[in-house]
Amino acid sequence: MMSASMPTLRAHALARFNELGVPTTKHEEWKYTSLRKLVDELDSVLDSVLVDELDDVLDSVLVDELVSELDSVNVSKDSLKTSSQTSLKTSSQTVTLFNGTYRPDLSTLIDVEGLTICELNDELVASDEKVGAAFTTAAPIDAHAFVALNTALATSGVVITVAKNATIPTPLTITCVNDAQTENVLTTPRVLVIAEEGASVQVIESHHAQGEHTAVEVGVTEIIAHANSNVTYVKLLVDVGNTHHIGFTGGHIYRDAVIRAHTFCIDGTFTRNDLELKLMEPGASAYLDGVSVLNEEQFADNHTVVDHLVPHCHSEELYKGVYDGKSTGVFNGKIFVRPQAQKTTAYQSNHSLLLSDRASVNAKPQLEIFADDVKCSHGATMGQLDEEAVFYLQARGIGRDEARALMTYAFAAEVIERLPFDDLRTYLEERVANKLGAQP
Amino acid sequence: MIIDIKDLKAGIDGTEILKGISLTVNPGEVHAIMGPNGSGKSTLASVLAGRDEYNVLGGTVEFNGHDLLDMSPEDRAREGLFLAFQYPVEIPGVSTANFLKSAVNEQRKYRGLPPLEPAAFLALMRERMKLVEMDPSFLQRSLNDGFSGGEKKRNEIFQMAMLEPKLAILDETDSGLDIDALRIVAGGVNALRNSENGMIVITHYQRLLNYIVPDFVHVLWNGRIVRSGGKELALALEEKGYDWIKQETAVA
Repeated sequence: MMSASMPTLRAHALARFNELGVPTTKHEEWKYTSLRKLVDELDSVLDSVLVDELDDVLDSVLVDELVSELDSVNVSKDSLKTSSQTSLKTSSQTVTLFNGTYRPDLSTLIDVEGLTICELNDELVASDEKVGAAFTTAAPIDAHAFVALNTALATSGVVITVAKNATIPTPLTITCVNDAQTENVLTTPRVLVIAEEGASVQVIESHHAQGEHTAVEVGVTEIIAHANSNVTYVKLLVDVGNTHHIGFTGGHIYRDAVIRAHTFCIDGTFTRNDLELKLMEPGASAYLDGVSVLNEEQFADNHTVVDHLVPHCHSEELYKGVYDGKSTGVFNGKIFVRPQAQKTTAYQSNHSLLLSDRASVNAKPQLEIFADDVKCSHGATMGQLDEEAVFYLQARGIGRDEARALMTYAFAAEVIERLPFDDLRTYLEERVANKLGAQP
Repeated sequence: MIIDIKDLKAGIDGTEILKGISLTVNPGEVHAIMGPNGSGKSTLASVLAGRDEYNVLGGTVEFNGHDLLDMSPEDRAREGLFLAFQYPVEIPGVSTANFLKSAVNEQRKYRGLPPLEPAAFLALMRERMKLVEMDPSFLQRSLNDGFSGGEKKRNEIFQMAMLEPKLAILDETDSGLDIDALRIVAGGVNALRNSENGMIVITHYQRLLNYIVPDFVHVLWNGRIVRSGGKELALALEEKGYDWIKQETAVA
């Protein structure tokens, strides 16, 4: 809930970021995720990029130290490549956030009944009651330092509103382009999805990089799923190159509503995803799944929180990871079942496949259950390919490398198969198969 | 001659299990290898198929004019060797149809043949499944995943029907089967028997040999073939058990 004016909120957020600081590995939630390298990059990014607008907003407040570090360099917006070449061809509707800024000129917007897409800016937050009420509820600035940073810096995001009982027939793609062609950039894409009562929408959030310089992307997405609504949210890190992505997605799920969140980390030097879904009213459901397929020195950390606040809610979670080369994965899955949340059903599983001696994974399921009449389970496995199965395939004439690729692909495909869109499924199957050297 | 095994010695973890096996299989022949538990029957199957935890300690195996022991497991299969597993492996996420498509097309590629057209391939699968009375719905299911013991063994014979090997080694394919499943599996095997191919049928029980009638029976004991004969040898074993042979061997 927004009561303070935007500049004040931004100032608070920036102050909060300064207070919290960039987390170190001493912080429980960042234990396996070292930001040391990133901090160096971030410093240089902050040095070279300035967010002019912020100056005005912040002049009165306690952020002098940070502001003084920021040089007055304008982001060059003439060097844009159009985002079309990197965007997915899976949907007719494409919203582009270019270096965190909503760009209708780079978006493909078609009139669809019940769907409203507009810039998320200070003015809208102040003037639109629904937007104002929703903004920063599912991603409060206290959530973690980077949510605060995003809130402080993001001035031109996008808000997607789906009207009561409207069903949006085709998925909507939000393309977040990180353009580091001419210099290092810090981008802060901000998305707010509001599904009104009974609404149904599918949102694909796809992150892209271009250019040889470093992009640090600190993104926040909030999803408010009102009663009986149905939101599918797909987060794609498939074409992010050397972008350092730190993204937070928060969802509030009301009575009988459903959020299905699918997260794919198929590319990226450094990725940290936080996904927090709160089951706010009885009958709410959350489905979370994701797969990371990493090699070389790639790093991906998925932190998820499913918070059962009330009775009769359901959650199901499946995260998988394939780690080759010197890659590293982290999975931390928290499930809270609050004292009043009786009749909760909550299931979580996490499976990791290590293809190389030098790859590693840290997995931590964490169930905190304070109600007594619930069904909850979790399971985690970590291992290598089953050599007996590899031999079985070889004994039928399939080469050893192909056999390993086939089995690895099958392991990852279990998550891809859950996607409800054929085009996107095919696209991901091809990308994963290519990365693994398998036939889809 | 399909396969010529000469004085094969092999073991695992430094223990010699096969202590000099010689066996020749010609086209059109079915050889049964019987023996008590621990005699080396499954080791023989594993060594021939190329399972790498076994070490070959001596002897030669010529298969189709090639040095079998020098080949990878996949190349042995591509040359026409097929092992029906005693314990078929469950592979979640890989459908039976996709698996067979990969296997058949890899083998065709090795032989310089183009891949089969999908429609023709599907028709072929449906036809060959009938041999072992498998329902077509199995094609879309993950390989052996959740299959019953009998379904897994029928699936092995179905794969054999698809791959049309020159030499099939059936490793205790009858173990754990009830009489109906045994009859179906044996019926499939018999339908695939012809004058061009050969089979080595490894079994602990004579019962299977009522259904798959062998040309030769060999008794394996303590890593050696201690007696060979015709199908009547299996009957004698059924009647008298293995002790009789063990004693004779010990005396000799």
